[in-house]
Amino acid sequence: MTNNSKNFSVTVRVWRQAGPKEPGKMVSYKVKDVSPDTSFLEMLDILNDNLLKAGEHPVTFESDCREGICGSCGLVINGDVHGPDEHSTVCQLHMRRFKNGDVITVEPWRVKTFPILKDLAVDRSALDRVMKAGGFVSIPVGSAQDANAIPVEKDKAEEAMDAAACIGCGACVIACPNGAAMLFTGAKISQLALLPQGGPERARRALGMVEAMDREGFGNCSNEYECEAVCPKEVKVANIARMNREFLLANLASKR
Amino acid sequence: MKLDAKIPAGPIEKKWDNHKFSLKLVNPSNRRKYDILVVGSGLAGASAAASLGELGFNVKVFTLHDTPRRAHSIAAQGGINAAKNYPNDGDSVWRLFHDTVKGGDFRAREANVYRLAQISNQIIDHCAAIGVPFGREYSGLLSNRSFGGAQVSRTFYTRGQTGQQLLLGAYSAMMRQVAAGTVTVLPRREMTDVVLKNGQARGITVRNLLTGELEAHTGHAVLLCTGGYANAFYLSTNAASCNVSAAWAAYKRGAGFANPCFTQIHPTCIPRSGEHQSKLTLMSESLRNDGRIWVPKAKGDHRPPNEIPEAERDYFLERRYPAFGNLVPRDIASRAAKTVVDSGFGVGPTGQSVYLDFRDSIKRKGADKIKEEYGNLFDMYYQITDENGYKAPMRIYPAPHYTMGGLWVDYNLMTTIPGLFALGEANFSDHGANRLGASALMQGLADGFFIAPATVGGYLAAGKFEELSSGDKEFTDSARQVHDRLNRLLAIRGKRTPSEFHRQLGNVMWNDVGMGRSEASLKKALKKIPEIREEFWKDVVISGADKDFNQPLEKAMKIADFMEFSELFVRDALERKESCGGHFREESCTPEGEARRDDENFSHVSVWEYQGPDKAAALHKEPLTFENIKMAERSYK
Amino acid sequence: MDITFIKRFAFTSIGRKAVMAASGLLLGAFMLIHLAENLLLFKGEAFYNGWVDFLLTNPVTPFLEAALALIFVAHIIAGTWVRVEDFINSPGGYEARKWQGGRTIGSATMLYTAIAILAYLVYHMLTFRLVDHSMGFFQMVTSAFRRPVFVAVYVAGSAALALHLSHGMQSAFQTLGLNHPKYTPLIKVLGLLTAVAMVGFALISLYYLAGIDLKAAETGIEMVVIQ
Repeated sequence: MTNNSKNFSVTVRVWRQAGPKEPGKMVSYKVKDVSPDTSFLEMLDILNDNLLKAGEHPVTFESDCREGICGSCGLVINGDVHGPDEHSTVCQLHMRRFKNGDVITVEPWRVKTFPILKDLAVDRSALDRVMKAGGFVSIPVGSAQDANAIPVEKDKAEEAMDAAACIGCGACVIACPNGAAMLFTGAKISQLALLPQGGPERARRALGMVEAMDREGFGNCSNEYECEAVCPKEVKVANIARMNREFLLANLASKR
Repeated sequence: MKLDAKIPAGPIEKKWDNHKFSLKLVNPSNRRKYDILVVGSGLAGASAAASLGELGFNVKVFTLHDTPRRAHSIAAQGGINAAKNYPNDGDSVWRLFHDTVKGGDFRAREANVYRLAQISNQIIDHCAAIGVPFGREYSGLLSNRSFGGAQVSRTFYTRGQTGQQLLLGAYSAMMRQVAAGTVTVLPRREMTDVVLKNGQARGITVRNLLTGELEAHTGHAVLLCTGGYANAFYLSTNAASCNVSAAWAAYKRGAGFANPCFTQIHPTCIPRSGEHQSKLTLMSESLRNDGRIWVPKAKGDHRPPNEIPEAERDYFLERRYPAFGNLVPRDIASRAAKTVVDSGFGVGPTGQSVYLDFRDSIKRKGADKIKEEYGNLFDMYYQITDENGYKAPMRIYPAPHYTMGGLWVDYNLMTTIPGLFALGEANFSDHGANRLGASALMQGLADGFFIAPATVGGYLAAGKFEELSSGDKEFTDSARQVHDRLNRLLAIRGKRTPSEFHRQLGNVMWNDVGMGRSEASLKKALKKIPEIREEFWKDVVISGADKDFNQPLEKAMKIADFMEFSELFVRDALERKESCGGHFREESCTPEGEARRDDENFSHVSVWEYQGPDKAAALHKEPLTFENIKMAERSYK
Repeated sequence: MDITFIKRFAFTSIGRKAVMAASGLLLGAFMLIHLAENLLLFKGEAFYNGWVDFLLTNPVTPFLEAALALIFVAHIIAGTWVRVEDFINSPGGYEARKWQGGRTIGSATMLYTAIAILAYLVYHMLTFRLVDHSMGFFQMVTSAFRRPVFVAVYVAGSAALALHLSHGMQSAFQTLGLNHPKYTPLIKVLGLLTAVAMVGFALISLYYLAGIDLKAAETGIEMVVIQ
């Protein structure tokens, strides 16, 4: 069993907002007897169970896989996107990062393209609409040739995988001083630009996805690389440069 | 309930081709007139939606997530099998078929498994073509690795994130159809019921998780791609929202539930640390390629592991299975760990774990090489446990991971309800009593990309459909029932939270129906579960309103279904008095403690039919015959 | 005629940024040339005035000037547009918010340094371009450099320029898609060197303010002349 003597108490200040159009405010709660082995979200689970028992509605927050891959969770904790651990999602953060008596400020992701739904949950569907605009290779089922008929340079394949590692959590948008989705969009455009499979649709994809991104109201890139610093999957800003290149070339050299 | 597996006649190699030819086709210009409802957007759901959309059907996809890309397929790490034989090491469709049937301990249907092995190659071709960044060699060709104890290298992978990349591939193919207008994605919807008309599945009701509204959707076919139910154990490697509710709703409408007790307990998970743990994290079993699993030879040896000399360590897998050693299949590795822990040799603060030691391979290959191959897993272990796996052995323990059981389907992947299909982990079809590593992704995509598009089309072309609107009685009745259940839950206002009940249920499931099951433990569980359920309906506390974004209510709905389902699970385990694959009946073992299958009495699929709320389910049996592979005892010694 | 491709330079995020980056790079290059020209002051009055004469009487010059003005206007319009959008989009309302990445003083103050540069440019035009040039350019420039108020403004302008370029130069390459693991580190260094070079403007003015040229003449020491 866990060593209870190590357990401690924290105060969490959480953004509470009953609905998309309701006013919100920060509310403080004390959470006692937290084990350092508890994850941050499990600490919120404890808080929520306490609230339920006290007749209050629990804090709404999103999470699913709790192993850092589904991209559901996302909070700003004490001013840090996805919390204080580098290149990690909130679900991987553990309470041993905090100490007895800490006051922890927990805020939702605030950007106009991700409207708040309730408490800490936001709507990130804008990212799906960007994907819809070209984040795919148009090969129908049944028409593919043998997989080894398309050799791909190993370094390129690795680079494509680096870009493809994106989990669509949206942290890059939140970290960006301008609320841009350049790292997200750049990662997808890059992945498919690096692979020969994506070749025939490069121009269409770059123009379509960038225009969709603009339509959603995501911001501009000021090349400050805050996105790269918080990305849980360490997606690199070189992908943004590649997107810029793809877009400019598509605009000047393609028929579109 | 009539169980007709509809296995096509002819030699096994020709069955699928013959069957595809015998299926009727829907005229291309008529396809858009058919509405297909796909529930779930994981590998099976997204790929089915994509390929049905490509054919021109009108597809609606429902997911409980905020976006289809979050489905739990994303968490699969290791890889995807295919019989490509690129490494020229003797693989073939036949060998993959053979290994899967044998690995499943002869409790799967031969024809289905053969088809899966056949399609496996097409999956790799298609996924590579749509831009899945598979691992490659310097030649530019695809890279393979050996996985899960297979003696050939047939596993394709994208680092340790194969599930993620395949899911994103299927998702992107589906988003292409969204752009083309053939697929509509409805996120944040939880399926609450299947709606039947004249015995056919003709629609579903779903709860909009943001508004709480119950919505009715009509269709000509319904595809359940809703994953597995390992969360019945509360702690599992599954994501928090994985549930049995959709399958359970189908069961209550007459779909047979097959082999519910077949659960895979994955051996290499990070052990539980305390009461508030919400999930167990799996580390890829590739760790077993280089890590050695051991416990101290003396009971209650509390010395730090590095101080325990070689002679006082029991490498129990290597000792018991000298031929396969640490690479025995998942079920065997898990059970062996349980045996040593139950006998008091377990390690760590809870005594509920065993060591996974890289000392020797670090010595042999160098720390850098180990870091290169497994670095992300060591990091993950460190992040969760605060322990350094390079310096001292990691601790691992098995955890519920995958469920081989599921809705019974015929060769067309159709359940016992006409028009209701089940794909991927949600069905029971291909893995028998134990799934081999890297086969889940293969099955999800085979079902979605290749099988369902053919068989669903065949069903629609041959079927007759009455006019139906979402305002019809069938839908309003269903919505009323769901509404009543929701409000009954909300009205309880008891004292204990949904999570507390879930944990209580999970403890019973884990302790009495987990890796080792005996008649006594199962009977105990069968007594406890209804008590917990009764208590749940008296004392659970949920706040908030029905028509709202209400997470406690969502959770309680899922747990309410687990409470009912678990009982069926236990009854199935009790009924199956043999040990096979992941199902280990303590009464049915060899003198050395190995599982003993009973082919004479249990070479069948157990299919359960719902009889009403307070009546015991009826058991039907689909006999399994093996014409192509000789039934043999699985031995990994 | 389909002019979508031109419109994209105005109406898409990356198009606008590309205009800003390309014009910025050209302006940066111009500043380096300008600095080189200023260094010609050290070659003496006759040489300097001769060079200016050559420039002013050259028939190409008006075109170059017009092009420069256009580039400048494009830079300002694209930059303002981007910045206004950023202002609207910028996430706000956090109680606590930390920056973790590459946000620097230079990058965070692009708008302010831009305004300072523009203000300085107007002042520069008023003092050097739109005035009576009868005393000769060398005299006009050096006498301005002996006025403390002018030099103070001039030093501040150069500092703003240096700060602006410290982010702007390498950023422009990224915006134009020129990022490569081999070359980007070099580009970043060269970008910073360009920014640092802008301090040269200030140093030249300080040289005259301190009267080093006069002292050199008094003491009879030969002035350092770049031949």
